[in-house]
Amino acid sequence: MKALLHAELIKLRTTRTFAALAGAALGTSLLLTALVSLLTEPTQDSVLVDVFASDTSSLFILVLAVVGVSGEWRHRTIAGSLLAAPRRLHFLAAKTLAFVAAGFLLSVSIYVAVAVVGFVILSVRDLPLPQAGELVELIARGALIAALLGAFGVCLGALVRNQVVAIVGVLVLSFLLEPLLLGLVPEVGRFGPFVALPTAAIDISPEAVGLGDADLVAPGPAVLLMLAWIGAAFAAGGALLRRRDLE
Amino acid sequence: MSGLSKRYGSVQAVADLSFSVEAGRVTGFIGPNGAGKSTTLRMLLGLVRPDSGTASFNGHAYAQLEHPAGHVGAVLEDASFHPGRSGRNHLRVLAAAGSHPPGRVDALLERVGLATAADRRVKGYSMGMRQRLGLAAALLGDPEVLILDEPANGLDPPGIRWIRGLLRTEAERGRAVLVSSHLLSELAQSVDDVVVIAGGELRASGPVEQVLGGANDPVTRVRSQDPRLLIAALRECGHAIEIESAGGLIVRGATPEEVGRVAADQRVALVELGAATRSLEDAFLELTAAAS
Repeated sequence: MKALLHAELIKLRTTRTFAALAGAALGTSLLLTALVSLLTEPTQDSVLVDVFASDTSSLFILVLAVVGVSGEWRHRTIAGSLLAAPRRLHFLAAKTLAFVAAGFLLSVSIYVAVAVVGFVILSVRDLPLPQAGELVELIARGALIAALLGAFGVCLGALVRNQVVAIVGVLVLSFLLEPLLLGLVPEVGRFGPFVALPTAAIDISPEAVGLGDADLVAPGPAVLLMLAWIGAAFAAGGALLRRRDLE
Repeated sequence: MSGLSKRYGSVQAVADLSFSVEAGRVTGFIGPNGAGKSTTLRMLLGLVRPDSGTASFNGHAYAQLEHPAGHVGAVLEDASFHPGRSGRNHLRVLAAAGSHPPGRVDALLERVGLATAADRRVKGYSMGMRQRLGLAAALLGDPEVLILDEPANGLDPPGIRWIRGLLRTEAERGRAVLVSSHLLSELAQSVDDVVVIAGGELRASGPVEQVLGGANDPVTRVRSQDPRLLIAALRECGHAIEIESAGGLIVRGATPEEVGRVAADQRVALVELGAATRSLEDAFLELTAAAS
């Protein structure tokens, strides 16, 4: 498993897709932070969420993970990968762990960059700064969610081979269907893995991320429910991968 | 492999196929397009699940091998690579997955002639370069078994000669080499054994001389200074004879030893005597005729 994980991490590092999407995540996060820091006047109570919760790595790592698996089919590299790792569940587990690590590291890196930019701008403008402890907790929760969404994305990619369908599907679910469900049927929507549970797990106000006054689940259960989603998706994706003939 | 079968819908891709490949020999796996060669190789490698039958390497299925890439190296017909990854990085990924020493990557890039192109992205590679990269990947673990599906596709004549040499070298090192190809002229010069399939079924297998010559139907070519006397003597022994335009005789149903004995009994001097083998192409067309 260690060897397969090493191989998956090399795969991540040796194409431009990861660098491009990670760069996009960093760029959008810094842009949001800079704009909010420069154009608003956050209070001591709101500064943490308003300025320092601008990390967009969760969405990007989700898309990257979907691309990472579906790309094996798109580029027809799956046969070579499974020749190196004929125990297919081991292959899927290694890829899942690789994106857990990538999500975690990407999120921490972006949060740190966001923190530096936010602190500099707010200090210059003589505006309130968050407590270090709260910021560290936010970074830890954000990185955990990015890691979990990396794992979830891999499992979704194992379920849907077509890369375009997989990516469009994830974006539609994240930006349209799940928020819609949360608004229309909140007792169901609050268990959604793309928006509701990550927001709940980070423990920020749903209003701050445009979810109105949604009644989200508590942070601890939210993480457990995310893990349940990942477990279910891994089981389904793994079963499908094991059954597929690679013609 | 034993009794391998695979059906896709109404199409029987492979039917009860059994054969084995020996260490230290190059085995050619031939058959017309759609004969089931690639499906067979993919079942052997665990990429396609057979409906019935087993495929194993020294008794172990591919997926059960401790370090599969250290036992079996394979180049599939449509071997694909991530277009944005360099050749070197492609091999680095596989070396890491197979726990091979990183030094093998550069050694193999050198061996397959890709050292100078190693850091270029694969999307800029020619088909021949991709084949060489696939071969380098197959050789990473210095495997005991090499499985090559159409390895000469896209190679230029020097490349084809190079791959013939590689097949022979690996066999001489004691490796079992199974190579499929539709370019029969390439195989004829490289293989020790052949397995012929058509319509998913085995048509012939064994040492190439046996398959080409037809062990149960020996054919001998002979030329003598007195063909009329020899023809009469051979016909008297019940052998069918064809007369070639160059004056030689093709004797069916007789070995060279039997023809030589008849000639000696008649005191006919011979200027040529030997087994007349079919070309691999003739054998292929004859053996697969029923399926086409």
